[in-house]
Amino acid sequence: MRSSSRPFYIYAVLFMLFLYGPILLAPLFSVNDSIFATFPLKGFTLRHYAEMANNTGLLKALRNSLIVASASSIIATAVSVPAAIALTRYKLRGSGLIMTAMSAPLVVPSIIFGVALLIIILRFLDLELTLWTIGASHVFISIPFAMTVLMSRLEGFDKSLEEASRDLGEGAWMTFLRVTLPLAMSGIVSSLLLCFVTSFDEFVLAFFLSGTETTLPVYLFGQLRFPNKLPGMLALGTTILMFSTLIVILAEILRRRGVQSNSPGEV
Amino acid sequence: MIQRRPDWLAGYGLLSPAIIIMAVMMVTPLLAMVALSFWTQQGFELDRSFTLANYFALVEPSSEPTYWMGIPFPLTYPVPAILLIKSLAMSLAITLAVIALAYPMAYFLAFHVRGQKALWLVLLTIPFWTSYLLRVFAWKIMLGFNGAINSGLKSLGILTEPLSFLLYNPLAVMITLIHAWVAFAVLPIFVSLDKIDRSYLEAATDLGDSRLRRFLQVTLPLSAPGTIGAALLVFIPTVGDYVTPTLVGGPSGTMIGNLIQELFLKQNNAPLGAAVSITMMVTIAAIVTLFLWLIGFRRLRSRAR
Amino acid sequence: MQRIKFIDRMASGRIDRRTMLRQAGAFGVGLLVLPRLPQAAEVLTCLEWAGYDSPDYFKSYTAKHGGAPNFSIFSGEEDALAKVLAGFKADVMHPCNYSVNRFVNAKVAAEIDTTKLSNWKDVFPALQMASGVVMDGKVVMAPADWGNSSIAYRTDLVDPEYAKNESWSIFYDDKYAGKVCMLDNEIAITIGMMVGGEKYETAAVATGEKLAAAAKEWGTKVVKNSRFLWNDPSELQQALASGEVVAAYAWNDVYRNLKRENIPVAYAKPKEGYFTWFCGLTMLNTGKADPALAYDFIDAWLSPDTGKQLIEGSGYGHANMKSFEISDKQAITDMGITDPAEHMKQGTLLIQVSDAVQTEWNKAWGDLKALKQ
Repeated sequence: MRSSSRPFYIYAVLFMLFLYGPILLAPLFSVNDSIFATFPLKGFTLRHYAEMANNTGLLKALRNSLIVASASSIIATAVSVPAAIALTRYKLRGSGLIMTAMSAPLVVPSIIFGVALLIIILRFLDLELTLWTIGASHVFISIPFAMTVLMSRLEGFDKSLEEASRDLGEGAWMTFLRVTLPLAMSGIVSSLLLCFVTSFDEFVLAFFLSGTETTLPVYLFGQLRFPNKLPGMLALGTTILMFSTLIVILAEILRRRGVQSNSPGEV
Repeated sequence: MIQRRPDWLAGYGLLSPAIIIMAVMMVTPLLAMVALSFWTQQGFELDRSFTLANYFALVEPSSEPTYWMGIPFPLTYPVPAILLIKSLAMSLAITLAVIALAYPMAYFLAFHVRGQKALWLVLLTIPFWTSYLLRVFAWKIMLGFNGAINSGLKSLGILTEPLSFLLYNPLAVMITLIHAWVAFAVLPIFVSLDKIDRSYLEAATDLGDSRLRRFLQVTLPLSAPGTIGAALLVFIPTVGDYVTPTLVGGPSGTMIGNLIQELFLKQNNAPLGAAVSITMMVTIAAIVTLFLWLIGFRRLRSRAR
Repeated sequence: MQRIKFIDRMASGRIDRRTMLRQAGAFGVGLLVLPRLPQAAEVLTCLEWAGYDSPDYFKSYTAKHGGAPNFSIFSGEEDALAKVLAGFKADVMHPCNYSVNRFVNAKVAAEIDTTKLSNWKDVFPALQMASGVVMDGKVVMAPADWGNSSIAYRTDLVDPEYAKNESWSIFYDDKYAGKVCMLDNEIAITIGMMVGGEKYETAAVATGEKLAAAAKEWGTKVVKNSRFLWNDPSELQQALASGEVVAAYAWNDVYRNLKRENIPVAYAKPKEGYFTWFCGLTMLNTGKADPALAYDFIDAWLSPDTGKQLIEGSGYGHANMKSFEISDKQAITDMGITDPAEHMKQGTLLIQVSDAVQTEWNKAWGDLKALKQ
């Protein structure tokens, strides 16, 4: 390491401390034998995890979240695959504009969509608020993520394979099934994971669009106001933390297998 | 011989499901918002005749200005204007702090890490995909009266009385939001730094430029696209954030998102809430456009010279 | 459930082509592709105050139906009303004598047929006919709990002189800035006007210039001095227990719980007067569950056993006369009173205000909070 690296290295370590310090309080206090999240620590316990496992409201919210996240990640990826192929394989007029418009959910504050969708669903369409309404909104916010991942994957591989397939007389559909799809598979899987995590963690839209059935973040938000429910929520947070870490690592491994590019910043 | 369909037709065909979903989910809410902002709340009913009254209410002048942070607001209903300016100022400060913290980290990753780049990047990505609410709440635990900082310092004997100024203020909101976004901002900056052709840097060194000069004249301008992208990705969503102010801000940490939520869900005045939302979006769009235009403008000027 | 209802409406010809297309379009592809999500539409949905969703309060309902209803927790009546008006389908709501008119005026409250409530005959006659329970000759709220709003304060942390001269003025006193905690409610302005010498009954209905002036003089001060504005009693309880705040607007249960934790706390009888209120259950016409479930839930709330839980557990009074017979005598003595009519007379009964006044106050309070620097 060069000598000029040292200050940067120290900075990077401090940066990571700042980043992880507050997050790691959750695992720490979740095994602390007290209902208050304060120092000094009282002793080790797993009872908060047992409480969590017996909390039916929480488990119901967890189940809802899993349903919504699975459904919305599958739908978002399913519509994004053809769209990403279209944008990378065909020279289309206005494709830049389309791509820009599709990233809009990233840059419009979600409270606006939350409120607006609420009004449309209740006052204009006269529908009920169910997990469907949450799921639909999650498809919408997941599409930009799915598109980004899929497009970077589709741009990455050799187009001559598809051309070769067509030259051999395969139709567009067979070419897609036999060539494009297998090559894009790693992109599809990371898109699914990314959309899943996006939906699983989404709070604002779910808050506005949930009726009696809520998702985990909305449930968590309601419970955070009660100090005596805090340790159980920290246990839950720790569990989520561990699972998302697993998912991120899994996604990274898959992505790595697929693309030999070291710019995950595009994700 | 099979007649092939024209490419563009197939292309738009493949695009259409995504486009339809995006159009339905994005355009209709915005149109509904616009429509609503021209209506009036009459008690518990909506009066659907066209009016500009909601927008006029936001700018209606008053002879008695309301003072906020020493700035006079000569409006009869100054709350939206004050909160919009406050939110923009807070977001701007958050964005600047995030960029200032993220840039050296991205620089370190791009130029000083060789072997374990991937490890560092995964470490940076993990917090972004862990529960946002949990991260916000972690700060409440950190900053609370009986929180980690206070009780930690107390048990170490540094404090006798807890510090009460940590939580329930705009600073708490800003710290929490900086923490929430900083890892996210590293990635685009890193990508643009990583793309810089090393030969430019060597050329600058060969020409005898000092390290600082080289940074200012070569590295910084070349990393501008990623930095600007990161800044916008932080700035835009934080203006409308209301979860963080709700949890850690107290009344003095209120932002424009809280007002929108309150108008819709507590004060039962959806049309006014819609007008405030539209105004906020238009203002953000105008600021972003102005910012991008200024940057483009500068670049044009420097080329002309 | 929505789908079944939709098909049912279509089949019975109650749906025209436009509505059908509109709804079909809205459901879109997702409905066809995805499996049907489980929905628990038959379950009773109750809008409740934080802490009032405790299973102790509706045991006979759980026993009869094998499970608790769904609860949606609100922090103030205005939130709950806005949620209902936004389309939230709740069956039962828990308003109070001073707020039930909002639900009646918004046409979301249903008349209660008291013959379907087995415990109604044991409700204190004074409560059966009280204003708020009966509106325009119809019973719109089944009275359940009654109690106080006063100041709970730490006797070890406030000036000892305060105990001799208890007053709401502590919230407007800069000496206690950052050490007091007010309810997140516009009543903070009313109380300020009372500290300034105004009577509650005229203060609570102030509008226009008068309200604006009071908001500016008293409201700004209380928002500035409050450590935070509480929405949830357990959050307040913790703040009082830790000494983060030394005095707070509080209901009986907070005082009772702190006392049980042996925390030196007193419940004031301020010179401006303390407040009394009674709350109850209102049936909403927005629900989807069978009204019989709502009646069972309300009846469970009116039972003597629930009363015993309230009296012994929280220090609140209960509407059922029999609950006083079966409750711990010491708990009743601690509560200080057994007759609701007498209780209402001793304190200042919170009153109903018109919708226009309420709307103006909501806005005034919202603006005050937003402008805190």
